[in-house]
Amino acid sequence: MIEVAGLRKSFAGSGQAVAAVAGIDFAIKAGEMVTLLGPSGCGKTTTLRCLAGLEHPDDGRIVIGGQTMADAAAGTFVPPQRRNLGMVFQSYAIWPHMSVLENVAYALEGRGIRKAERAKRAMEALALVQLSALAERPAPWLSGGQQQRVAIAHAMVGRPQALLFDEPLSNLDAKLRIEMRNELRRIQRETGLTAIYVTHDQAEALAISDEIIVMKDGRIVERGRPVDIYRRPRHVFTAEFLGSTNLVAGTVAGVDAGRLAVTTALGRILGIDPTGTLAKGAKVMVSIRPEDLSTQTSAADTINRFEGRMIFAAFAGATVEAELHCGETRIACLLDRDADLTPGRTATLWAKPEACLVLPAE
Amino acid sequence: MQTAAARRFGWKEAALALLVAVLAYQVVVPFAMIIWTSLKQARPGEEDFLSLSFTLANYARAYGGAAFWRISGNTLSFALAATLIAFVIGAFMAFVLARTNTPLAGFIGAMLIGRIVIPGILIAISWILVASPNIGLINQMTLRLAGLRNPVNIYSFWGMVFVQALELVPLTYLLLGAAFKAMDPRLEEASAMTGAGNWRTLRRISLPLALPAVAAALLLLFLTTIETFEVPLLMGTRAGIRVYTTEIFYDTSRTPIDWGLSSTYAMALLAVAIVLLFVYFRLIGHGERYQTITGKDFRPRRIDLGPWRYLTCALALILVFLITGVPFLMMLYASLLPFYQVPSAAAFTSMSFDNYLTLFHNSKTVAPMINSTILGPAVATTVVLIVALISYFVQKTRLRGRRLLDFLGFAPIAIPSVVLGATFFWFYLIVPLPIIGTLTIIGLAYLTKYMPVALRFVSASMMQIHAELDEAAQVAGVSWGRNFFKIMLPLLKPGLLAAWFWVMVHAYRELTIALMLARSQNRTAAVVIFDLWEEGSFLLLGAFAVLMFMVLTALCAVAHSISARFGVQEQPA
Repeated sequence: MIEVAGLRKSFAGSGQAVAAVAGIDFAIKAGEMVTLLGPSGCGKTTTLRCLAGLEHPDDGRIVIGGQTMADAAAGTFVPPQRRNLGMVFQSYAIWPHMSVLENVAYALEGRGIRKAERAKRAMEALALVQLSALAERPAPWLSGGQQQRVAIAHAMVGRPQALLFDEPLSNLDAKLRIEMRNELRRIQRETGLTAIYVTHDQAEALAISDEIIVMKDGRIVERGRPVDIYRRPRHVFTAEFLGSTNLVAGTVAGVDAGRLAVTTALGRILGIDPTGTLAKGAKVMVSIRPEDLSTQTSAADTINRFEGRMIFAAFAGATVEAELHCGETRIACLLDRDADLTPGRTATLWAKPEACLVLPAE
Repeated sequence: MQTAAARRFGWKEAALALLVAVLAYQVVVPFAMIIWTSLKQARPGEEDFLSLSFTLANYARAYGGAAFWRISGNTLSFALAATLIAFVIGAFMAFVLARTNTPLAGFIGAMLIGRIVIPGILIAISWILVASPNIGLINQMTLRLAGLRNPVNIYSFWGMVFVQALELVPLTYLLLGAAFKAMDPRLEEASAMTGAGNWRTLRRISLPLALPAVAAALLLLFLTTIETFEVPLLMGTRAGIRVYTTEIFYDTSRTPIDWGLSSTYAMALLAVAIVLLFVYFRLIGHGERYQTITGKDFRPRRIDLGPWRYLTCALALILVFLITGVPFLMMLYASLLPFYQVPSAAAFTSMSFDNYLTLFHNSKTVAPMINSTILGPAVATTVVLIVALISYFVQKTRLRGRRLLDFLGFAPIAIPSVVLGATFFWFYLIVPLPIIGTLTIIGLAYLTKYMPVALRFVSASMMQIHAELDEAAQVAGVSWGRNFFKIMLPLLKPGLLAAWFWVMVHAYRELTIALMLARSQNRTAAVVIFDLWEEGSFLLLGAFAVLMFMVLTALCAVAHSISARFGVQEQPA
């Protein structure tokens, strides 16, 4: 459905050109919702804007729905008007001089559709986002969440071949953000539209996507289903960026039946290798997520036990966020709320080998 | 399947090409004309004028004489004095009206801005009627009441400075008022929280924040005075104080016309303007660091003056009377008299509308009023569309060379009106287009003249339009032209309106260019005023002026009611 090959885009910075997108390739299947995730400046928004036609790529090719939209080598560039895409912007981009209905119907103008038909289709789009009642209201009189819905209706009314979302929820408050992201997912599933979603919010990406493409410094780090990319990241960057994690440096001491023994400051850690590339002697980082650590050890668990002193604990409702010092290493963990939290107390933490990811040091 | 090249040429590209052509023709050509003429001894229209032989003889002749340096001294000292006085009065007005709780602030501000419909020539004439030797109102009164003979003389350096300064106050007020209002009160509140009083906050926070705007305003005022024409023409000539603009006017309006000399004076004027603009842009660039306009909605904090507010109110009322009241009342008074006389019971009983009736039966006065009524709105509409395109391409695209568009649009601010008028005249002596003596030539000159200020208004408005509003329209699959008219223009409404009114009013009442390009068929309202003044018909002049105010006010009212139907709808509070 969407294919991007060798995409590059630089901007004239102070003195020299800064590469915002430094050569990326990916393909997206029809009907999927794929998220471009990364910190600010990773090139995710530039990539999306290249897809929309708002930026001219310096190099590379973009094919959407079988049509070559941009091909730097061949000099092809289809302007945004002719790409038949829908886009939801960070600022919602609601035209303040129009009513809600006019905003939505505007995308149908200039396509030879009669006015009555335009209004009918705009009302359908408004029904989809549950805003039918506010159709005649001047657009700026809406709340943030309602403006967001108008923006979605506006993006979809032209029956685009794909939807592009540029951090659409970042201006909403936390509660509304969760409501709207579920709403977005519902609408996307209902309409079966292919969608590309850009965000720097990992929780949003995990919740909303069929697949996540993690980006950093204008390149793709890795891509995968949310659960895989969270549970079995293949890069330290991904492990750190999605959720929080403890990283312990070490050296691979031995490989045995898919498990690796790693020598670290915490002692010997037994873990798994999601990349399948590590051999004895490799410099690695072991990633252990706070929620995979527990104080509930049994006598049978003789490996991956780390003894430490409780430094800090904060009650967080369902769990307790705690920090322990194991020698020189600080370990963050999410503990059961019944755990003994006395500062200075000695505790033993335990993680199963499947939760200890051995990743190549970067 | 279309080729890539064909796809790339649409309305947007056509608009851009047209814009570049207009800017080249309207801006680059006049600049080239000034320089070219100054290097020629032949006149425009003569064969040798187009040859490639150049000479510095004009410069040697102009800059070699003592007259040039005396005139330079006059020009600069007149401009400096008028600028400083206008600045002090304007800053006082702006601060008192925008930032204090002085009573009647709204009324006084409206009166100040309303003054803009009064042409400069009428202000000069009014003050001549008030304070000239022998016939002036003040001198007549003092003679009658105290036997004093001519204590005031408006035909003097300080007379010129006084009138020019009063003329500049509304512009100063506009420039500084915006800056004072745009100050974020939170910055001042933060200062107050540290325990600083009103005065310390003003001195340490508010004034430094306004500094870039203050400096820019000073420069703009100076530039405006350097190229001002009415006061030097009507008062300076009598006082024997000659400045650049009057020199250029007399060199081109006497026979034989001294083209070379006037163009070297034009070059001197251009040079001063360019140096000032260079400094201006440095200041503006510097000023962006201070950007206090956040686009957020806030009300500036008003300083409580206590009982002093009645004093500031009285002072402001006196000033606004001198600035707006005197010209308006003088014209109204003169327009009703059967013959000119000092106010008295007899004068008031003899009043009638005869002068107005005379005007209506005279086609020599009706036609120019119609001319101006066509010129004002037509020029304003064209200019506003052109600058909207310029600021769109400069700010909302990443077009290569877009800065050049901005530069070309703003560059004419360096060309003084008197030079611009001469240049257009010269150019159409060479170019075989039969537009000399028509409204078209004046309109074209106005286009160049009013582009820079309109561009500033519209650019400021364009800057506040989020780029995504335009991008969303592009992605929506609607053509560029439709987007421009249905999205960009309505969103730009505040800037477009401000620019439209400003240009309309100024083009309506402009004198300098119109006078230089006037023939029998294309005289404008301001030219008629000048002619009536030269003939000594003060009473008809008064009636004509009052009519002109009325037509302008009506035009503004019509335009306002049309514009109210478009653009962003305000949410009821």
